[in-house]
Amino acid sequence: MIPALGEVALWIALPISIWGCVLAFLGGRWSRGDLVLSGERSTFAVTALLSIAALGVVVAFMGDQFQYWYVYNYSSTNLHPYYKFSGLWAGQRGSLLFWGLNLSLFSSLALWMNRSRNRDLMPYVNGVLLAFLAFFISISLFVTPPFEQLGFTPTDGRGLNPQLQNYWMTIHPPTMYLGFTSFTVPFAFAMSALMVGRLDARWIQATRKWILTSWFFLSLAVIFGMRWAYEELGWGGYWFWDPVENASLLPWLVATAFLHSVMIQESTGMLKVWNMGLVVLTFLMTIFATFLTRSGLIESVHSFAQNLTIAWIFLGCLGVTGGVALVLIIWRLPLLSSDRQFESMLSRESAFLLNNLVLLGVAFAVTWGTLFPLITEGLTGSKVSVGPPFFNQVNIPIGLILLALMGIGPVIAWRRASPRNLRRNFLFPCAVFLGILTILFSVGVRHFYALLTFSLGAFVLTVIVVEFWKGTRARARIEEENSFTAFVHLIRRNRRRWGGYIVHVGVVIMFMGFAGTAYDREVRQSMVPGETLTIQSPFGYEYALTYQGLSTTLVPSMRQAIALFTVQKDGVDIGSITTERQLVLAVNPPQPISQVGVRSTLVEDLYLILATVDDAVLLGSNDPQFQRATFQVLVNPLVPWIWYGGLILATGALIGLWPGAGAPTRSARMGSRGGASTGTGAPGVGPNGEASSTDLSTSVSATVG
Amino acid sequence: MGRDRRFFAGLVGVAAVVTYLIYTGVSDTMVYYLTPSELLARAAASPETMEQGVKVSGMLVPGSHVHSTEELLHTFAVEDPNDASVLLNVEFRHPLPDTFDDSGELEVEVVMQGRYLAGGVFQATEVLTKCGSRYEAMPEPPQPANAEAGDGGMIG
Repeated sequence: MIPALGEVALWIALPISIWGCVLAFLGGRWSRGDLVLSGERSTFAVTALLSIAALGVVVAFMGDQFQYWYVYNYSSTNLHPYYKFSGLWAGQRGSLLFWGLNLSLFSSLALWMNRSRNRDLMPYVNGVLLAFLAFFISISLFVTPPFEQLGFTPTDGRGLNPQLQNYWMTIHPPTMYLGFTSFTVPFAFAMSALMVGRLDARWIQATRKWILTSWFFLSLAVIFGMRWAYEELGWGGYWFWDPVENASLLPWLVATAFLHSVMIQESTGMLKVWNMGLVVLTFLMTIFATFLTRSGLIESVHSFAQNLTIAWIFLGCLGVTGGVALVLIIWRLPLLSSDRQFESMLSRESAFLLNNLVLLGVAFAVTWGTLFPLITEGLTGSKVSVGPPFFNQVNIPIGLILLALMGIGPVIAWRRASPRNLRRNFLFPCAVFLGILTILFSVGVRHFYALLTFSLGAFVLTVIVVEFWKGTRARARIEEENSFTAFVHLIRRNRRRWGGYIVHVGVVIMFMGFAGTAYDREVRQSMVPGETLTIQSPFGYEYALTYQGLSTTLVPSMRQAIALFTVQKDGVDIGSITTERQLVLAVNPPQPISQVGVRSTLVEDLYLILATVDDAVLLGSNDPQFQRATFQVLVNPLVPWIWYGGLILATGALIGLWPGAGAPTRSARMGSRGGASTGTGAPGVGPNGEASSTDLSTSVSATVG
Repeated sequence: MGRDRRFFAGLVGVAAVVTYLIYTGVSDTMVYYLTPSELLARAAASPETMEQGVKVSGMLVPGSHVHSTEELLHTFAVEDPNDASVLLNVEFRHPLPDTFDDSGELEVEVVMQGRYLAGGVFQATEVLTKCGSRYEAMPEPPQPANAEAGDGGMIG
């Protein structure tokens, strides 16, 4: 009943979205308030209708309505309700509807937040949003229908791929969709600003939080995906430079570039075309990512079936959107001229610009490597491909430049850095850099990139800690607060700036986690119970793993072979660890799944894979002669830092996003045009009483410059 | 346009570095992506190419997968997607991906990176499986009468 209603709702949503889109644009063009209002109401109506449609899919899943093709393919009666619910986004058909639902929710939110602001921009914003809503609704109706029926009702569904029955996998895709869809809003604002010709700072102010929101979700999504791969795919890695992983990274890279370059525009009025271009490019990258993921055109571990219709549709969408945006930008070029000029290569503008170019460089290299097989096949007829070695070889050096810039950008002065500014801010961090470099080298770290990552990371962390310390001290003195209160207030007064620094701390820790890969250890061994395997940790101690035996269990939904190990670290018992091989019978055909055993410490993971067992074991035999099995044991140093870093990054982004006093006031932003800014458009010595010594020195050098 | 000159200098500088990195990256790491037929033809025509790293994609031959618990070694065969008579034997010494399924119930495409050895065996260092059909498609063939009867039986 409800699924049927959902399907009807989807059909009604299409004409309303198209009609609303027309009304919105006409209302904007003719300045007709009634049409504009109707257009906005259409968006709210579409949101309600898509909610009903999504509810229909969820109800179909929860009620085991296998007469629906989609439910039949992605569920079964014995599937846990949690995974039945997440069936809404488990496959292509549901996820594109879910995409539309997210987009409609964000659109409505944007309209509501701007109900009495930016009224000149909103009709076009709404028009653009409705156009994309109509696009996704059409796909859900005509290309990947979630409500398509089989014409009969099978007794049970085919079950959900057991690899997707993982906590991270249920939250990774929706987080990614939230990131992708929320970026449509800034894009719509950008297009509207171009159409209306209002290219002052307003559209940027209206979209800044949206972009940060989108960036927050994209970051989380990428990290969740890494975590899933690490836990579930069972090869000990978290990033494979797989086309789909790359696709998810591309919009993140460009959005990151924008988040930085927009500060230059806010502080100096430069780079207007550049920023406009970055918003457009980020949005195009989200479509490109969708195209790559869902077309199945490029070899990938993500197994969406190859679907040429979807490929052409998203390619077309990419072309049309890109073309329209390009024409609009060219048309409005005269309005996008810079207010100021670059003065010095030694300035924050230059550092930020370099950061932008470097981020785009990474994005370009990743795109190139991903499309390389298609490009060579098209040009030469023979397929040539590049894999992880290519991406590492290209991106590690660029990543290190980025890391260095993360330490330089926040404290170098705007416009022109004086020798005094440089000395004051960089002398100590550079000393730390050299100190850490020397220490690591003397304890035997010889891997060039790892050495540089740790030392540069220490440099960046020092810069940030010193900034926090100076800010807290200055505030404690001026406001007569204790250090802790001063620290909390400091962050609260300029959430964007300090939140940004916390994000940097997270990124540095993640980078160090990535660098740990250089010291991965691996042992592969065939073992019988009682045998012990040893593996050396790069931190110097030795793990001894004693194989205690294999036990088999049979439950209706699966057969499990569980290998038990006791672990000693330098001769001291530290507990046990299990690793499993399962044959999941709840899917048709049955699928083997490995469940790795991971033992995490603060600095490394002991990662244990049961590689092969005798087939008899999975048939249920407990016979001792089948106890022999092969194992792969890995020591993955610093992998936990990636997750800790991710957590810190998310915290920083949330601090920046938190509504309220975090955003600089309007007057403050005006004032910052003078150049006495602290880095994010907030005043150095502002109404908030925040005046760190760096701020003062920055403003002094800026004025002198 | 003086202001733009520095901007473009930076742009060109970074572009040059990135281009250089991509160029060297590609030339150092690129591998030919071949079908089993192409690989065998290439090895026959120019034996010196044999030990070069290549990427090969083929269809997994049902029932060909053999593994041992004496050592971590998987052997299996893939056939050319366009010519089922061309077989390539593969050795792999790491854990296989979970979706590796030679039961024959699914069409499994295997993408491997590795070297074709003189002995006529492909030694894979990486194995990826693609089988979209595991996740989707194949709406159940309608079996109205039997299915209904089965249903009734269950309920009864």
